[in-house]
Parts: sequence; C-alpha cells; structure tokens
Amino acid sequence: MKPAILLFALLFFLIHAPVSAEEPVAGVIKNTTGKASIERDASTQPATSGMKIHVKDALKTGPEGTMGVIFRDDTTLSLGPDTRIVIDEFLFSPAEGKLSFVSKISKGTAAYLSGKINKLSPGATRVETPLAVLGIRGTRFLIEVE
Amino acid sequence: MRHLFVMLLNVAALISMLFVVGCAKKTTFVLLPDPDGRVGEIAVTTDKGTRIVSKADHATQVSSAQKLPSQPEKMDQEAIQEKFGMALAADPGQPATFSLYFQSGTNQLTAASSNLLPDILAAITSRKSKDISVVGHTDRVGAEDLNYRLSRKRAHTIKSLLVSKGVEPDLIYVDAHGENNPLIAAADEVAEPKNRRVDVTVR
Repeated sequence: MKPAILLFALLFFLIHAPVSAEEPVAGVIKNTTGKASIERDASTQPATSGMKIHVKDALKTGPEGTMGVIFRDDTTLSLGPDTRIVIDEFLFSPAEGKLSFVSKISKGTAAYLSGKINKLSPGATRVETPLAVLGIRGTRFLIEVE
Repeated sequence: MRHLFVMLLNVAALISMLFVVGCAKKTTFVLLPDPDGRVGEIAVTTDKGTRIVSKADHATQVSSAQKLPSQPEKMDQEAIQEKFGMALAADPGQPATFSLYFQSGTNQLTAASSNLLPDILAAITSRKSKDISVVGHTDRVGAEDLNYRLSRKRAHTIKSLLVSKGVEPDLIYVDAHGENNPLIAAADEVAEPKNRRVDVTVR
C-alpha cells in the first residue's frame, strides 16, 4: 500500500511542479526603434536586435516604437507604434507534418509577409484580432486594430 | 451588507468588461502584392461570415464581430503610408539563403557548393546574424527514414564546417526536413538532384 501512496505523491508532484521548460524559438528580432519590448513569463524586457523570439512571447512597441522580426520559416513581421502581438503557436517541422503559425494582434499596426509554413501548408497560418480572424494563401498584408 | 457590496463590485466589473469588448476595435486588413509582384489572397472572417480580398492594395474593414467585413475597396498609396508607414519601414528584409549540394550518397560537398562558403560567412558577418538555420533535405528516392537521417547528417556536416570557420555554435540551429520540404515537387522514388541539399538561412 505504502509504495502506491508514494507513487501517487510523486505523480502529483510531477504533474503540479512548475514547468521550467523553455518554449521553442520562433524567430529573431532584426531591428527596433524607439520603445520596443518582449513580454515573457509575465516579465518584460527591452527588445534588441539579435534577441530570439519564443512561442508565447508578446511583442510590444511604445508610441514611437517599431520592431522587425524574421521567423524560422522566413515569415517576416514588422510592428508599427503602440502595437501588441502574441505568438500563440509556431510549429515548423515538415518532417513530422507539424506546421502552424497562429498570432494574435490586440492593437496597433503590423505588416506580414508569409513564409514556408504557409507555402507548405496553406491554411496553417492564422492571425487573430479582437473582431475577426484572418487566414491567408501566400501573401503580404497589413493589419490595423484601432 | 458586505456581500452585497462585493456582488455590486463584481457586477460593475462585468459590465465594464462587456463594454470594453463591445466597443473594440475597428480593424483594417490590406492585401499587398508580394515582393515578386504576385498577389495572394486573404480571408477575413467574423461571426457573420468570410470576406475574401484578392486584389492588390484592396482593404476590408471590420467594425463589429456581428457584421460581415466590408466590401473590399482600393486603398491609395498615401492612405496606406499614413496608416502603415512606420510598420512598413520596420521591414526586417528577407533572410539570405544558400543551397548546398552534395556528391551523391555522401556528405561531401560538390565543388560549386564548397565555393559558396565564403559568401555564407560574409552574409553572417554583414548581417550581424544571431540566427542561422542549417536544414537538410533529400529527394524521394529510398526509404523516408533513411533520407531523413541522411539529411540530418549532412546538416551537421555543414554546421561543423561553419563552426570550424569561426561561427559561434550557439547561433546555428540544425534541423532535417527529409523529403517533406522539397524545392521541386516530385513523385515518390523519382530522383531530383535539386532536392538533395542543405539550405543555410542567415537571418
């Protein structure tokens, strides 16, 4: 009986222990101007050129800020001022058939040029906004959320 | 009494939340031509349905999730610049990509591909790149798992080569796409030399 209880205790601990595994890298920041930052695990750090973007990161710019990002599938994304975009999902593993790119823009302006995920799996790219969802087929596009 | 107060507070919070959701956030979507001039397509979907935009510089707007996105209309360059000028100016540009080819069945580079190495190193330096992908690909001749392993082995060969020339190992991300990200679409078991390659992407 006792080992069973121990086992359950261990399982409980494993399931509820804080997950420290880092989210996978999705891309890299190439350029910033003005105020630009990355929000990760509830802490905010200034965004600088060369910094890696991870899945679940929020990209943010201030009133005069801009930021340019190149993703691992060669999608490019640039943010205008006063913008917030969260990278919800980024899967680029063609060998396993795992392809998806979901981001969410809650305010501001952004320019996207889709990359290989969209090329290999049209329909796997989605941009969510508060009022509407955008799906794409191989494209460059702009979004403004007022 | 206190319970009533807390309840009222909750109701007030709920109402203000609904209010915020309710008056969010007029949204504009603009389709631009790709850099090569081709024009793709975007589909904008609300609770009411989907609007397709398939002409260059045409925009659709959404003012409520309960309404269909507006009929696409052409947006002139001035208006695009006014709204999106700063976002467009922050374009990070396209990464530099290099395709390296191997002598059949080996992880020996062809002579022409060996000659590309200085260009790759120059691109890493000039871009101050902190993110370099080295990704192995094969054609569809032979078993898929063997091809996957060969493509991975070749990618690691290239990483070692770059590191031996002074590139920081931490900056290089190695992956293998096997048969599943071909340059040229080909049927299974059809030899396609252009697909037997390692792509180096310098971001």
